[in-house]
Amino acid sequence: MENERQATSQPLTIPERLAAWAEPAASGHFNELRGAPEPGQAQTLAPAWSTFFEHVGHEGLNDLNQRTRDLQRQVRDNGITYNVYADPQNPQRPWSLDLFPLLLTQQDWQTIEQGVQQRVQVLEKVMADAYGPQRLLHEALIPPALVQGHPGYIRSMHGVTPVGETRLHIVAFDLARSPQGHWWVVSQRTQAPSGLGYLLENRLIISRLFPHAFEAMQVQRLAGTYRALMEGIRQRSPAGAEAHIALLTPGPYNETYFEHAYLARYLGVTLVEGSDLTVRDQRLYLNTLRGLEPVHGLIKRLDDQFLDPLELRADSTLGVPGLLQAIRAGHVVVANAPGSAFLESPALLGFLPALSEALLGETLQLPSLPTWWCGERAALDEAQHRLSTSVIKPTFPWGLPGNPNLESVLGRGLSERAQDEWAGRMARQGEDFTVQNYLPFSQMPTWHSTMDSGRLQPRSVLLRVFAVAQASGRWNVLPGGLARLAVPGAEIASMQRGGSSADVWVPSQENPHGAEESETTTASVHVPASASFGIRKRLVTSRAAENLYWLGRYSERSENSLSLARFSLEALSGENQHSRSLLQWLYDLTTRQGLVPPGVPHPQASRRLFERTLIASLHKDDWTSVGYNLRALRQAASAVRERLSLEHWNLIDRTEKDFFAQCDKLTQQGDAASIEALHLLDTINRQLAAITGAQTDRMVRDDGWRLLSIGRHVERLAFLSSALSLAFASGGLDQPQKDDAVYTGLLALFDSTITFQSQYQQNRSLPSLLALLVQDTDNPRSLAWVAQTLKGRLSKLAGSGAEELDGLARMVPSPASWVATAQPTRDSLTTELQNCLQAIYTLSDAIGARYFTHLRDGEQSLGF
Amino acid sequence: MLLRITHETRYDYAPAVGTAQHILHLQPRDTSRQHVVQHQLQITPEPSQSLAQTDVYGNPMSYVALQTPHEALSLVSRSVVKTLGAVAPAAAALSVSWESVRNRFRYQVGARYDPAIDHVFASPHVPRHAAFLDYALSSFTPGRPLHEAARDLNARIHFEFRYESHSTDVSTPALEALQQRRGVCQDFAHIFIACCRAMGLAARYVSGYLLTSPPPGQPRLIGSDASHAWASVYVPDDQEGPGHWLDCDPTNNRCDWETPGEDYVTVAIGRDYADVSPVRGVIHGGTHHTLAVAVTVEPAGDA
Repeated sequence: MENERQATSQPLTIPERLAAWAEPAASGHFNELRGAPEPGQAQTLAPAWSTFFEHVGHEGLNDLNQRTRDLQRQVRDNGITYNVYADPQNPQRPWSLDLFPLLLTQQDWQTIEQGVQQRVQVLEKVMADAYGPQRLLHEALIPPALVQGHPGYIRSMHGVTPVGETRLHIVAFDLARSPQGHWWVVSQRTQAPSGLGYLLENRLIISRLFPHAFEAMQVQRLAGTYRALMEGIRQRSPAGAEAHIALLTPGPYNETYFEHAYLARYLGVTLVEGSDLTVRDQRLYLNTLRGLEPVHGLIKRLDDQFLDPLELRADSTLGVPGLLQAIRAGHVVVANAPGSAFLESPALLGFLPALSEALLGETLQLPSLPTWWCGERAALDEAQHRLSTSVIKPTFPWGLPGNPNLESVLGRGLSERAQDEWAGRMARQGEDFTVQNYLPFSQMPTWHSTMDSGRLQPRSVLLRVFAVAQASGRWNVLPGGLARLAVPGAEIASMQRGGSSADVWVPSQENPHGAEESETTTASVHVPASASFGIRKRLVTSRAAENLYWLGRYSERSENSLSLARFSLEALSGENQHSRSLLQWLYDLTTRQGLVPPGVPHPQASRRLFERTLIASLHKDDWTSVGYNLRALRQAASAVRERLSLEHWNLIDRTEKDFFAQCDKLTQQGDAASIEALHLLDTINRQLAAITGAQTDRMVRDDGWRLLSIGRHVERLAFLSSALSLAFASGGLDQPQKDDAVYTGLLALFDSTITFQSQYQQNRSLPSLLALLVQDTDNPRSLAWVAQTLKGRLSKLAGSGAEELDGLARMVPSPASWVATAQPTRDSLTTELQNCLQAIYTLSDAIGARYFTHLRDGEQSLGF
Repeated sequence: MLLRITHETRYDYAPAVGTAQHILHLQPRDTSRQHVVQHQLQITPEPSQSLAQTDVYGNPMSYVALQTPHEALSLVSRSVVKTLGAVAPAAAALSVSWESVRNRFRYQVGARYDPAIDHVFASPHVPRHAAFLDYALSSFTPGRPLHEAARDLNARIHFEFRYESHSTDVSTPALEALQQRRGVCQDFAHIFIACCRAMGLAARYVSGYLLTSPPPGQPRLIGSDASHAWASVYVPDDQEGPGHWLDCDPTNNRCDWETPGEDYVTVAIGRDYADVSPVRGVIHGGTHHTLAVAVTVEPAGDA
């Protein structure tokens, strides 16, 4: 394009420049960039795209590569991931997002919104009928094979009207635009549709990258839909406005776990796994620090068959036994009600026009792709003749026993012989197959960066839109959606197969009427970081409590092992490197902390060998190395990600990655090794300080934070007691006036060197050391201070009766009293320190037994 | 016949079970051929919650929750049931071919709906498999009246399969039993159902009891009987109306309309065992457990 610019005397207008950049859409596909084809106007852009790029401006257009990099950094920083089943080595893949939003016109949106509203009404009524009077079955408007014959039909929900009387709270529709420019429904998702979280992230990032265009085009805001969803669930729940609502996730190994955590945080609901919940008296409860808390609403991201091992799949460990009892009793509202999976079958699409007529007396406004279910004789004949222009889809979810393992097959690509084989299969087991007209999806422009410039590359797009049940009984259609893009040249958009996504912009109405107006035109805040929908105080589940406790312990343990490693490396080359007691102390302490493998040669025998082993062990994860602790820290944090700020999580994530990346580069031999290692430890130490700073300053002081803090102080008390006790054992405190290596070493490890010098200068007496490291209640590294803080935190921790509180707090040792009573001797103090360590272990177990009991451990199913 | 049934189920757990929930199908249902005169269910220890419910097939069902630790669970179900013998169907049912019944279940616009179609589809213990079709074919010859074909299938399973107690457990798939040509009553019932469904017919699972006659000269053994299972295939008579079920017990080669005989007691009807399992539950704890079941069926007033 540079050549073109030079060739013309007039500078190109932006649309002209774009038109010249853009690759044409593949033949037979609608080109979103150019809009409806008009003969003779091949070089123009559709008005929306024209407006968009004009607001991006020449400067912006020159800057698209930079924005792409910004985008990728944002995705990384926000930690947006998508788990890919196919890749066990690296299951977390960064979310893939394209630079340009899909631009819809008001006209597009009106069609889609109205059509979707109508369709979701039909689906709700179909479901109500299938679990109620079954009139549609009796009138043969829907084949029984697609209801009772569908593995997702749950018989034990028959005759049940869920509390609130709405079954479908969240429905997703996948739409595509035909070559003629019309929108068609390709499929629908009701069981646990994904996308509501990812699309928010997409919006957050893209609206910030194109702030002017976003403003000028008056893009409709999304928050209203989420508010409507929450209000809808609350209103239908048995507890109304006071309802406690949770989001049920299959857990961190699910492909869209990121989204579950993100949505839970955004909606202000508790993120729970099945094992956090229990059913008592047909009511659902959450196991929290405060005991059992009632749950009145569940947004589920779990497939139906896993919901309740008592009545559904007995081998499910993800569900809640008795949940169906609670649902049938009307004590909990579940979005969506179990048993909706049969609505997802592509075969149903062919019956919906007649169903709409029968149920609403209306013609469907938004058509679905022509679809033939081969279980019907007439449709089978039709389908067999159309194979070459169709897609063959499994009627029922595949992977179930007795169902063919089948993914969608494009008829066009099949040889004549293969087509005959398919026709035969369809004749034998027609009900298994559904044939859908092949539709070339429209293509939207995506930015393809090259070294010094880039180009607009068209990619096929499938638009997922969402309808949510709002309080009034109507459905709210989210004004936007998740655009899913096929890999260039491919037809099928799938996040599992490496597709990408795009934000979706819907312009506000020109003549706004209705209450939504003020919100849709409010500028400045695009997406609030969290929708504060009037949420009750956040509960801490027992599982989250345990992870927070260990997050605290591993944060502290990482810091301690890092300081110890640093101190050891410095000492081994420092001026006291010949002190036998120092070397003994280091040896004892590093082996006790697991920084070196058992059997390492004593540093008194070879300081260099010991040093090399220490460096080489930094990132070994078969013992409790620095790296092991950083990894454990990250794991504990990832399990409570929804409770941590983005920055906090990113710090933890990056620290672990940085550490391992740099360890690989460390020189293994020579004098430089120690210096390099020290440099690395310093860097990581600074990052760790930022992490613990975030824990101290940035977290809400709720029970979850208290447990984190308790974890930290339990760990610190144990480490400092060990260090002091081993210092006595090494003999290094016997004559500190002669050899003060251990004495000053202790001060350094207790981070108290400066305080000591300002108070005691060069005094090297044991009493002054103990005064500062054991008794001082102002020094945050003294045993007395740590113990006192631990007691305070424990006594503020909620959820236990006064007796238990006293019980736990009483288990905390009182170092302040050790020295005060009598002149302490080395032996008496060693005994106190040993008792102290024992008391800490006992306390930790007691905390676990009291707060982390897992109601559902060791659960099993009988007699299924 | 007036029959008295005592069905005892006992679980022993080690270590103790903390909490448990169970779904029970231990109360016989009323059918056209039997009337439940009396029923009582005794649960030890006393559950914290016990609810009498009815499942989707009209079977009585109990939901039971225990919230206190227990080392054993005992369920004693006592019933008195008045049973009737088989009933003769309308003559048309005797001549209806299996193909016409299959065609009736094939969907087309405007087709008449028959609720029995719920029993045409695969179910958890009766998956679809070509092996069932292969086995069934020789019974279902072209134009053969359905009830004849079913009786033939029933007899073939009875004579071609070996009854072996403990050869399978409740989780043994019917397919494995088919391949090994051996199993228990439950497997035979599942195989019978799978074969019928493979032919496009409606067949269901019946759990119940059977009055076992003692060997001549010996007293009836108390507690030696077990709960029984058989199958039932749907035979509509080509007219409006609900049609008939032909109850087939391949284990004993018994077969008759609406019940295999007066000496049978139906407890529950479902698509397969999973729908009517006598005791299904989720327990917390009880890593090791043993199960003991004893069933006694005797003529009431006989003792």
